[in-house]
Amino acid sequence: MSSWLDYTINGLIVGNVYALVAVGLALIFGVSRLINFAQGSIYLVGAYIGWVAVVQLHTPLPLTIIVVAAAAALVGLIIERFGLRPLQNSVRIAPLLATIGISFVLDQLVMLTFSPNPRALPSQLPDVRFQVGGGTIGPLDLLIAGVGITSALLLFVFLRYSKLGWAVRAASQDRDAAMQMGVDVNRVNQAVFGIAAALGGVSGMLVGMYYNQIDTAMSLQATLKGVVAEVVGGAGNVPGAVVGSLLLGLVESYGVAVFGTSYRNLFAFLLLVVVLVLRPNGLFASARQAPPEPLTGTFIAPSRPVRIPRWALAVAAAIFAILPLFPVSFYVLQTLINAWLLGMLALSLTLVAGTIGQVSLGHAALLAIGAYTSALLSLTFAVPVGLAIIGGGLMSAALGTTLISPSFRLRGHYVSIATLAIGEIVSLVILNWESVTRGPIGISGIPPLSLFGYDLISPTSIYWFSLSVMVVLALLQGRLLTSHLGRSFRAIRDDDIAARAYGLSLNRYKSLAFIFGGFAAGISGGIAAHLYSYINHETFNTQQSILALTVVILGGLGNVVGAILGSVALVGLPEMFRIAAEYRILIYGIVLLLLVRFRPQGLLGTI
Amino acid sequence: MTNASPEALLALSNVNTFYGQAQVHFDLSISVARGHIVCLLGGNASGKSTTMKIILGLVKPRSGEVTFDGASLVGLTTPQIVRRGIASVPEARRLFAEMSVRENILMGAFVRNDREAIAQDLDRMLTLFPKLGQRLSQRAGSLSGGEQQMVAMARALMSRPRMIVMDEPTMGLSPLYVDRVLELIRTINQEGVSVFMVEQNASLALEIAHEAYVLQTGKIVLSGPARALKDDPRVRDAYLGGSEAA
Repeated sequence: MSSWLDYTINGLIVGNVYALVAVGLALIFGVSRLINFAQGSIYLVGAYIGWVAVVQLHTPLPLTIIVVAAAAALVGLIIERFGLRPLQNSVRIAPLLATIGISFVLDQLVMLTFSPNPRALPSQLPDVRFQVGGGTIGPLDLLIAGVGITSALLLFVFLRYSKLGWAVRAASQDRDAAMQMGVDVNRVNQAVFGIAAALGGVSGMLVGMYYNQIDTAMSLQATLKGVVAEVVGGAGNVPGAVVGSLLLGLVESYGVAVFGTSYRNLFAFLLLVVVLVLRPNGLFASARQAPPEPLTGTFIAPSRPVRIPRWALAVAAAIFAILPLFPVSFYVLQTLINAWLLGMLALSLTLVAGTIGQVSLGHAALLAIGAYTSALLSLTFAVPVGLAIIGGGLMSAALGTTLISPSFRLRGHYVSIATLAIGEIVSLVILNWESVTRGPIGISGIPPLSLFGYDLISPTSIYWFSLSVMVVLALLQGRLLTSHLGRSFRAIRDDDIAARAYGLSLNRYKSLAFIFGGFAAGISGGIAAHLYSYINHETFNTQQSILALTVVILGGLGNVVGAILGSVALVGLPEMFRIAAEYRILIYGIVLLLLVRFRPQGLLGTI
Repeated sequence: MTNASPEALLALSNVNTFYGQAQVHFDLSISVARGHIVCLLGGNASGKSTTMKIILGLVKPRSGEVTFDGASLVGLTTPQIVRRGIASVPEARRLFAEMSVRENILMGAFVRNDREAIAQDLDRMLTLFPKLGQRLSQRAGSLSGGEQQMVAMARALMSRPRMIVMDEPTMGLSPLYVDRVLELIRTINQEGVSVFMVEQNASLALEIAHEAYVLQTGKIVLSGPARALKDDPRVRDAYLGGSEAA
C-alpha cells in the first residue's frame, strides 16, 4: 500500500467494519440508554463461529454469513433475556456492570474453547486486486462494503417501514410514552439486541477474514472502537454511528500512513476525548451540552453500610500484622502482598467511583504512571526508592487529575467511556514515547524496594511494608470520608445539580478526589514496579481496571473496609482453591454478574 | 366517598400506593361512569399524576383494586392495559420528538392492525384538528406547545379507545389553546369516549366535567357532580390548603 487512495480505501473499509459494531451500540443505547460493553465479545464470538464454519464445516461464504449472523443474534438474545432484563428495575449502573461481566465471561469461554493462540480465517475469495485510479481494491473489500451497505439499507427499511421498527424508534425517543401506545418494550429490547448482535458477529467474521487472523484480544478493541465511533456520531444516533465509524476508519488510516502502525489506536482515543470534551452529544448534535441523562442520583445502589466496630478492625489489622511471625508459607505472604497492592488501587477507585460517583474504567493507567515514574526516578536519577515511590504517587495524582480534568463536565456512562479512553491513551503513549519509556521493550532492572538505605528483599519485610502503606492510606481515606470534604463528595455523587446549587464547585471536588485517588494508585504502582523489577506498557492493563472495579463493587462502593476485604477475597480465594489462572478472569466476570444481580450494594454496603 | 357503581367503566377501590417508605395514596377510590368526563383536582404533590400512572400500570399499587369494564387491571403491563381500550395523553405531551407529526399520530394506532381503517381515522383526525394538516411531515418536536397537545390528543384517539386518561391537558398552553383543548375534550366525549383527566386548573376543568374528585395529600377530600362542586368554597380551600382567595 502506498498511495493516498489506498489509505482512503483502507480507511473506509475498516470504517465499514466499525460501523457494523457501532450501529448495534447506537441502537441499544437509543432504546436502553446503555453502553453495551459486551458488543466486542459478540464480535469475537462471530469471528470464531465464522472460523468453525469456514475451516471445519467448509460452508460456502453466503451460508457462513447467515450462520454467523444467526448464531450471534442468538447470543445477543440470551444476553438480553438473562443478563439484562432481570436488571430492568435496578440501579442505573447495574446493566453497565452486567455487560462488562458478560463480556469477561464470553471472552474467557471463547479463549478456553479455542485457546488464546491466533488462528487463520481464510475468506475463500480469490486473491486478486483491481486497479482503481491510483489504488487497488480486492474482492474482500467489495464484500465488506457490500455487507455494510446492505445492512444499512435493511436497517433503514426496518426502522422506517416495519411496525417493530417504529416501536424501536418510538421507544428510543420516549420509552414511557411508547409503552402508553401499547409498545412492548421487552420485545423492542429483544429486537435491538438481536440485530446489534447479528451485525457485530458478522463484523467480527469480516475483520478476521480481512486480516486472515482472529484471536481473543479482538474483543476489547472492537468494543472500544465501536464506542468511539458511536460517541463521535452521537450516542444513540444510528446514521451518526455510520458516519462516525467511517470518520474513525479514515482518521486511523491516515494516522497510520503518517506516523506508523503503533499509533493507530492513539488516534481513535484522542478523537474520542476531543469529541467528548467539545461536543459530548456527538459531531452532529445541535446542543453542546451532554443530555440531561437520568444517570445521576440513583446511579449507585443506596444501602445501609454494615457497621464494623473499631476494635474488630484493629484486631483484624493486628492479626494480619503478626501473621509473618507464624510459620506461614512464602506463597501465602506473596498472595497477601498482591492483595495489599490491589487494596491500594481499590481504595483509590472506591473513592473516585463510589464516594464521588465517577465510575472509572481506566484506573490501571494511574498504576502505570506511578510505576513508570518511580522506576525512572530510581533508575535514571538514582533517587532513593522510598522517595521515588512517593514521587510516583505525586506524579500519578498530578498527571492523572490533569488528564481526566477535561471530562469533569461529563456524567454517568460518559465518565466511564472517557476514563477508559484516557487509560488507553496513557498505555499507548507509554508504548510510543520510546525516548522516555523505552517503548515496547519496557523497563528492566528496576532496583528492589528499600527504605532508609535498607533493602526490603525478604517476603516478610515486603509484606509489612505494603501492609502498613495500605493501612495508612486507608486511615487517611477514612478520615477524609467523615470530614466535610467526604460529605461534599457524596453530595456531588447523589445530585450534582443540587450540589452545584449549594455552591459546591464540581471541578474542585472532582479534582480533589482524583488527586487523592491518583496518589494511592500511584503508590501502589510504584511499589509494584520495584517488586516486579520489570514493567512494560502491558503490565497495567484494562483487565486490572476491571478487576479493581469488581473488587470495589464486591466490597461496596465507597466503602474503605469493603475495598480491602474485596481485594483479599478476589486475590486470596482463587489462590486458596488453586484455580488455574485462565479460569480466574471467568470467575471475576461471574462474581461481577452475580453481585449486580443479587447484591448490588456489595458485601459491606455502599457508603 | 363514591362507591364503584355497576355501570362504572373504570373503578379504583381502596388503592394504597407507596414510593419506598412514603405513602402516596390512602384508600383511594374513584369511579368513572361510562360516557362521562371525570376530573381529578388537586395541588402539587397531592398524588394526581401517580393516580394516572396506577391506571396505566406504570406504577403498581401496594393494595387495592383497579378494574376496567369489570375486569381487573392489576398485574397487567402498560401495553396490555392500552390494548384493553385505555389511551393516554401524558403530562407535558411526551411526543416522539424526532418523528414526524404523521408518524406520531400513527403511533397511536400501534395496537391496531386494520390498515384501511387506520388511514380513515387519520383523515378523521385532520378534520378534528385541521391545523395539523399542514404540519404532517414536520418533526413533532418543532411544534408549539398547543399544536403538540393537538397531536397528543389525536395520537390518543387513534387507538379507538373506550377511555382516554389525560394528565394536565391545559398545562403550559396559551389561553387561546386552553379553550380549544377543553372544547375538543367535550367533542371527543360526545363521540362516546369516556375521559378521566387530572387537572390543577379547577374552574376550567369543572366547566366540562360531569363529576370531580378533589385529592389532597393522597386522600379524596371532596367528590360529587361537577356542577355542585363549582360553587363549593371547600374546593378552593382544599386546593390551597387554607382560606386564601384564589
